[in-house]
Amino acid sequence: MTLETEKLKSTAFAYLLVLPAAIVMFGVVVYPFFYNLVLSFSNMSLRHFQDWSLIGVRQYIKVFSEEVFYSVFFKTVVWTVVNVVFHVVIGVLLAVILNRRLMGKGLIRTLLILPWAIPQVIVALTWRSMFNYEYGALNLAISQYMHMSPVQWLGKPLEAFSACIITNIWLGFPFMMTVALGGLQSIPHELYEAAGIDGASGWHRFWRITVPLLKPVMIPAISLGIIWTFNNVNIVWLVSNGGEPSDQTHILVSYVYKAAFNLYRYGYAAALSMVIFLILLTFSLYFLKRTRASESAY
Amino acid sequence: MRIGLYFLLLAFTILVLYPILNVVSISLRPADRLLSTSLRIIPDGATISAYRTLFLETPFLLWFFNSVVISVTVTLTGVALAATAGYSFSRFNFYGKKGALLGLLVTQMFPPTMLLLPMYIMLLKLHLINSYLGIIVIYSSTALPFCVWQMKGYYDTIPFSLEESARIDGCTRWQAFRRIVLPLAAPALVITALFSFMTAWAEYIVAAQVLQDTSLFTLPLGLKQFESSMSTQWGLYAAGSLIVSIPAVALFLFLSRWLVSGLTLGSVKG
Amino acid sequence: MRLNVLFVLLCTLAFSCAKSTLDDPHQIVIWDQMRPEERAVLNWALDKFMKENPGVKVTALYKETEELRSGYQIAAIGGGGPDLVYGPSDQVGPFEVMKIILPLETLFDKEYLSKFNPKGLVYSNGHLYQIADQIGNHLMLIYNKQLVRIPPLDTDELIRIGEKITHPPGQYGLVWNYTEPFFFIPFLTGFGGWVMDSVGNPTLDSPQMVNALSFVKDLRDKYKIIPRECDYNTADALFKEGKAGMIINGPWSISGYKKAGVDFGITRIPKVVSTGLWPGPMVSPKGYSINVSEPTWKIPLVVKLLKFLLSPESELEFTKKLDTLPTQVEAATSPLVQENQIVRDSDYQMEVGRPMPIMPELRAVWDAMRPSYQAVLGGTATPQEAAREMQEAAVQKIREMNE
Repeated sequence: MTLETEKLKSTAFAYLLVLPAAIVMFGVVVYPFFYNLVLSFSNMSLRHFQDWSLIGVRQYIKVFSEEVFYSVFFKTVVWTVVNVVFHVVIGVLLAVILNRRLMGKGLIRTLLILPWAIPQVIVALTWRSMFNYEYGALNLAISQYMHMSPVQWLGKPLEAFSACIITNIWLGFPFMMTVALGGLQSIPHELYEAAGIDGASGWHRFWRITVPLLKPVMIPAISLGIIWTFNNVNIVWLVSNGGEPSDQTHILVSYVYKAAFNLYRYGYAAALSMVIFLILLTFSLYFLKRTRASESAY
Repeated sequence: MRIGLYFLLLAFTILVLYPILNVVSISLRPADRLLSTSLRIIPDGATISAYRTLFLETPFLLWFFNSVVISVTVTLTGVALAATAGYSFSRFNFYGKKGALLGLLVTQMFPPTMLLLPMYIMLLKLHLINSYLGIIVIYSSTALPFCVWQMKGYYDTIPFSLEESARIDGCTRWQAFRRIVLPLAAPALVITALFSFMTAWAEYIVAAQVLQDTSLFTLPLGLKQFESSMSTQWGLYAAGSLIVSIPAVALFLFLSRWLVSGLTLGSVKG
Repeated sequence: MRLNVLFVLLCTLAFSCAKSTLDDPHQIVIWDQMRPEERAVLNWALDKFMKENPGVKVTALYKETEELRSGYQIAAIGGGGPDLVYGPSDQVGPFEVMKIILPLETLFDKEYLSKFNPKGLVYSNGHLYQIADQIGNHLMLIYNKQLVRIPPLDTDELIRIGEKITHPPGQYGLVWNYTEPFFFIPFLTGFGGWVMDSVGNPTLDSPQMVNALSFVKDLRDKYKIIPRECDYNTADALFKEGKAGMIINGPWSISGYKKAGVDFGITRIPKVVSTGLWPGPMVSPKGYSINVSEPTWKIPLVVKLLKFLLSPESELEFTKKLDTLPTQVEAATSPLVQENQIVRDSDYQMEVGRPMPIMPELRAVWDAMRPSYQAVLGGTATPQEAAREMQEAAVQKIREMNE
C-alpha cells in the first residue's frame, strides 16, 4: 500500500467512527439552538406569544442592564467553583484510598455510589428537611453535639446558598470518584513500586505519578462537571424552594427559569440563555487551551 | 495509618447513608409526611403499605420495564458510539477534529430549560411525540459528549506501540482496536456504560414533554404522578425512589469487576 | 458490525411514530392537575362515560400544576396538546392572552349555563373560557379538637389560645406555610387590603398591607405562637403529628388529615379585632377549557363529554369522596351537600372569601410580593419598606411581562 492510500484509508476510517455520533448530535442540538438564537432577538412574551417579531438586541441590553444579573453571575461562579473543587478533591481522595487492598472495599465503594443512584428530587427535599431550623438533623447535631447555636439554614441568604452547595457536593462526588477509580486503573503498578524503591514518599508519589497520569481521564470529567454544575437548576431550586429567601438563592439558570416560566418572558429568557452559553463557551476555550486536552496523544 | 483510612471511609459512608436512611423513613412513615419532628429512622407506626401500594396498585412495574428498555438501549448505543468515536479522536489527526471535540463540549453548555420548546416542536413535526425513538436519540446525544471525551482520554493513556506491534504481526486496524485496545480500555467502557445508563434512567424533563401515554411512562415520569404541589404522596414517592436506585447500584456492582488495571509496563517493550 | 445492527434497529423503531391525538375521532385526551384522590374519581367518571359511549377512548394525563401550565403552553404553540385542559381558574388568564383556549359561550346554550353557580363560570374579556366542576381552593382554619376544643372567633382569642398551647419545640399553637404570599392573603384582607384593583394595577403599598405584615411578624416574634421556620411540608407534618393546635390550609389537605387520624374541625380564620373584618382567602373554581386547535368536527363529542363530567351526578361523586363544593345549583342544594359537615364548614369560610383574580398580572404580583414579604420575616426590611418595595417590584414586573 502506498503512503497516500494508507493515509486516505486512515482518514476515512477516522471519519466513519465519528460519523454516527456526529449525525445524532447535530440533529438534536442544532435546531433547538438556532430556534433559541432567533427567539433571543424577538419579543416573544405573554402578549406576543404566537405573533412575536424580531426586535434586535433589545433583550440583550435588558439582560446586561439589570444589576441583578451581575450578582447572580457572581453567585453562579462561586457555586460552580466550590462545588467542583470539593467534588474532585473528595472523589479523587476516596478513589485513591479505595484503590488499595482494603477489606470490604467492594461494599464501601458500592455504598458510596448511592448519592448518584438515588433520584435527585427526593434527596434534595430530604436535605431541605435536614436543614430545618427546629427539627432538622443538622441543627440538632450542631446544638446537641457541638454546643453551638443553631443556624437558620433556609432563612438567611448566605446560609441558604451554603445549604444548596452542601447538598450538591453530597450528590456530586460519587461521579468524580468513579471516574477517578477508572482512571487509576490506567496507571501501572510498577511505576509506584519503582518510585517506592527510589525512596519517594506517598505524598510525592501522589503528586508526581498519580495526578499527571490521571489528568487525561479527569480533564473531561472536570470540564463537563464545571459546565453541568454551572447549569444545574434542580438542586438550587428544590433546596431553596425557588430562590428563597427573597429571591437571593439563585444561580443564572434558576433565574432564567423564573423569568421564562413565571412571567412568560421567553424572548428575554432566550437572550439570557445565550449569554450563559457564551460565558461557558469562552471559559471552555480558555480551559482547553490551558490543559491542551483536545490534542491527541500521538 | 490504615486505621486512619478506614476511619475516613467510615465517616463518608455515614454521611452518605444518613440522608438515604431518611428517605427510607419517609417511605415507612404513615400518612404521607415528608418531615418528622422525631429523628427516629424507623418511625412510629411504621408501615410497608407504601411498598404494597406501589407494586400492587400502581403501574410501577410497567414503568420499570419501560425504563429498563430505554436505558439499556441508550447504554448500548452510547458505548458503541463513544468507544469508536473516542478512539478516532485519540489516534487520528483529521481536519475538523479540534472543532468536533469542542463541538461536543458546546452541546452541553446551553441551559436545558430553554431547549424544551424547540425540541417539542421538532419532535411533533417528525411525529416522534409519544414514541421511544425520539427519547432514545436525545438521551444518547446527551450522554455522548462526556463518554466520547472520556474514552479519548483513556485511549490516550494506552501506548500506541501495542497496536503497532499487533499490526506488524498482521492484524488490521479494526482487529487491533477490537482485540488489543478495547480490553485495555475496559475501565473507561465501564464508566461510559454507567454514565449513559444513569443519564437515561433518571431523566425527566424530555420524557415529560414527549411521552403522553401513561403506559409508556418511564420511572421518573411515573414517580412524578405521586407528586402534587401540595398533596404529594410522600410514602409512595420515597418508596418508589428507593426502588429506582436499585438497578443503578446493581449495574455498578456488576460492572465494577472490570474496573481493574489491564496494563502493565512489561507489555510495552523498548 | 455492531453499528449496522444498531442502525437497523433504530430504523424499525422509526416506524412506530404517532399522530397528534387531536385529529383522532376516537380519542379524547384530558390534561389535569388533580390530586391522586381526585384522579380516582375522574377515572371512575371516564369509565362510566366510555361504557355509555363505546368507540370513544378518553384518557386523562396528570401533570403537576406548574408543569401543566408550561407544558400546555409549549404543546399548544406547537399545534398539539390535549383536547381538554383542567385546572384552577387563574390559568385562564394567560391562556386567553396567548390565545390557546377556545371561547365557550357559543358551544353551550344560555339555559344550560344558567344551571351553574355564576362563580363556576370563568369569563375573561367578555368571553367564557372555563366551566368549573368545583369551587373552593380557599384557605380555612383547621383545628385539632384534642388541643383546641373551641376554635377562636377573633385574633385576640387566637393569640390567647395559641400562647396557652405553645410549648416549643414540641408543640405550637398555630402553624402554616406563612412564608408564601398566597397563604398571607387572608390576613391582608382581614386588615382591609387587597392585591390589585379591577383593571390589574397592584395596590400593595397600603397601610393595610403594613398592618397585616406587622401582625404576621408579631405572631412569630412577639406572641411566639408560630414556629420560627415553617414551610408547607413542615406545617403539614406538625399538624398530622398532633403537635399543632391549628393550621391554615385548604380543602385539598383534608383527606390527608383524615388519613392521619387527626380529630379536626374546620372554621373561619378568626376575625381581625382592630378592623372587625373576617379574613377573606382567595377562592377559585377549577374547571375545563378546550384547546384552541380542537378540530371543529370533533367539538360536539368534546361538549358531550364535558356535559357528562359537569353533570350533577358526576359533581356529587366528587363531593361524596372528597367533600368538594359542586358548581351545579341542583347538586349544591342536594341533601348530600347540605348535610355534609365538612362542606358546610368549608362553605362558611368561603362565604367571606374573595374571588382570585384570573389576570396574568397576578403572577407578577406573587413574584413581587414574595421577596419583600420574606424580607420582613427575615428582619431585613420594615413593613413600610416592604410594602413600598413590593409595589414597585409589582409595577415593574407587570410592565416587563406586558412588553
